Amino acid sequence: MALLKQAYLLVWKDLLLEMRRRDSLLTMFFFGTLLLFVFHFSFDAAPERVAEMAPALLWLAFLFTGTLGLAQLFQPERENHCLDALLLAPLDRGALFLAKSFFNLILMVIVEIIVIPLFWILFNLRSWNLLPQLFLVTLLGTVGFCVLGTITSAITLQARARELLLPLVLFPLMVPVILATIRCMENVLRTGEFGDAIPWLRLLIGFDVIFLTAGVLIFDWVIER
Amino acid sequence: MAQSSQPTRKRKGILGALALVAIAIGLFWSLVVAPPDAYQGDAQRIMYLHLPSILTAYLSYFLVFVGSAMYLWKREKRDDLLAHSAAEIGVLFTALTIIEGSIWGRPTWGVWWTWDARLTLTAILLLIYVGYLMLRSLTEDENRAASAAAVLGIIGFLDIPLIHMSVYWWRTLHQPPSILRPDKVPWENVHPSMLTALAISFAAFLLLYFYLLSLRYRLGEMREEIKARRLGREA
Amino acid sequence: MGAWGFVSLAYGIVWGSILVYVVLLKRRYGDAAAELAALKSTEAISRDAEK
Repeated sequence: MALLKQAYLLVWKDLLLEMRRRDSLLTMFFFGTLLLFVFHFSFDAAPERVAEMAPALLWLAFLFTGTLGLAQLFQPERENHCLDALLLAPLDRGALFLAKSFFNLILMVIVEIIVIPLFWILFNLRSWNLLPQLFLVTLLGTVGFCVLGTITSAITLQARARELLLPLVLFPLMVPVILATIRCMENVLRTGEFGDAIPWLRLLIGFDVIFLTAGVLIFDWVIER
Repeated sequence: MAQSSQPTRKRKGILGALALVAIAIGLFWSLVVAPPDAYQGDAQRIMYLHLPSILTAYLSYFLVFVGSAMYLWKREKRDDLLAHSAAEIGVLFTALTIIEGSIWGRPTWGVWWTWDARLTLTAILLLIYVGYLMLRSLTEDENRAASAAAVLGIIGFLDIPLIHMSVYWWRTLHQPPSILRPDKVPWENVHPSMLTALAISFAAFLLLYFYLLSLRYRLGEMREEIKARRLGREA
Repeated sequence: MGAWGFVSLAYGIVWGSILVYVVLLKRRYGDAAAELAALKSTEAISRDAEK
């Protein structure tokens, strides 16, 4: 499909740019790790309580780290009138949306793959066997974040105080994802399986599908001259 | 753009007058005629404010959605005006709903705030549409502000059912069912005049809402015209 | 504060705020209408001057 092929090319371009200078990736990674340290100093928690708080703390870290990535998302396009060039090209804007979302997703996943085990090490948690399930939930939540985040990043592109406006607009919209991922992860950590949290999982998947579709359809009107 | 004609202004005046009458009757019914609730006493009368205002807020956000969608489709300024006006008034009513809910909670629950589903939901709604208004005011180019806001107006509205579900599940999954909610409508002991009071209050709020909307909309129209004439002047 | 105290507080805040909003709107309405009239009259004057 032309849409996916265009998206693939755009993602490849962004990845190449990122691999050369690694600005976003490194900043996001160090910020995420820094937050873990800050959390550790903030809570003097016993090991049992840390396991309870882990999902929430992790998600706080990912939300703020992800926002950093979103602020940078369209940075390459803002330089040298690249955005104009992109818009002049016979591209489906939906492809641009998919590409940017997926690119941010890749960055966040890379950070998460390192930060989650790091969290387990720093906070002396034992439940290593549950990590695959936790990763799955995190992935689904991150998809939701990237999808809504890309739309939000694009519509705030021309606003003043953009770094403040972006989270202000994005975070309330993220409530379903935040609730669903944290409740799912809590359940997994408590019972070792999804069980009662399956409805939350379904909500998460539904959220992802709805806003992925909405984003592709609506992106034509988001970025324009 | 045509100036507001005599008939339109007259219609607005009539709407305003009707709203005023309905509000007066509603106040009388809510505060005097309707009996106090068996469990909550007179504090329950806040319900006659609370339910209509939250419903008006939802109506407003629906209009934001419609205006936003129409604007993205047809690019006519009037749809953008509708969305903007509806968002502004919607924020007003949402803020009022939260305040009413909080005040209602104090005598019935003993606390000014609780993270129960409805209050939390309303607070999130407020944040979303305050964000909408901030996005508009912080984006400098007019047309871009309108487009950006329209996208947010649509996305925000699509999110509302999801937020509803997630917050209700979160609050009710492990909640003992016997908790008395202050904003629970006392259906078991409903006196017919309570329903009448509610109905009149609904009508009053609706009339008031459309009156405010028409005022705000007209204000927006005039501002647009001023801008257009000024620009034409400089050309 | 008795029950009626809370009721008056709620009703007072609500109708008070709405009143304030209406007053604000009407004031801005008046300002805009005046400005519009001023713009229109100067336009009419300049048009007449051109004739």
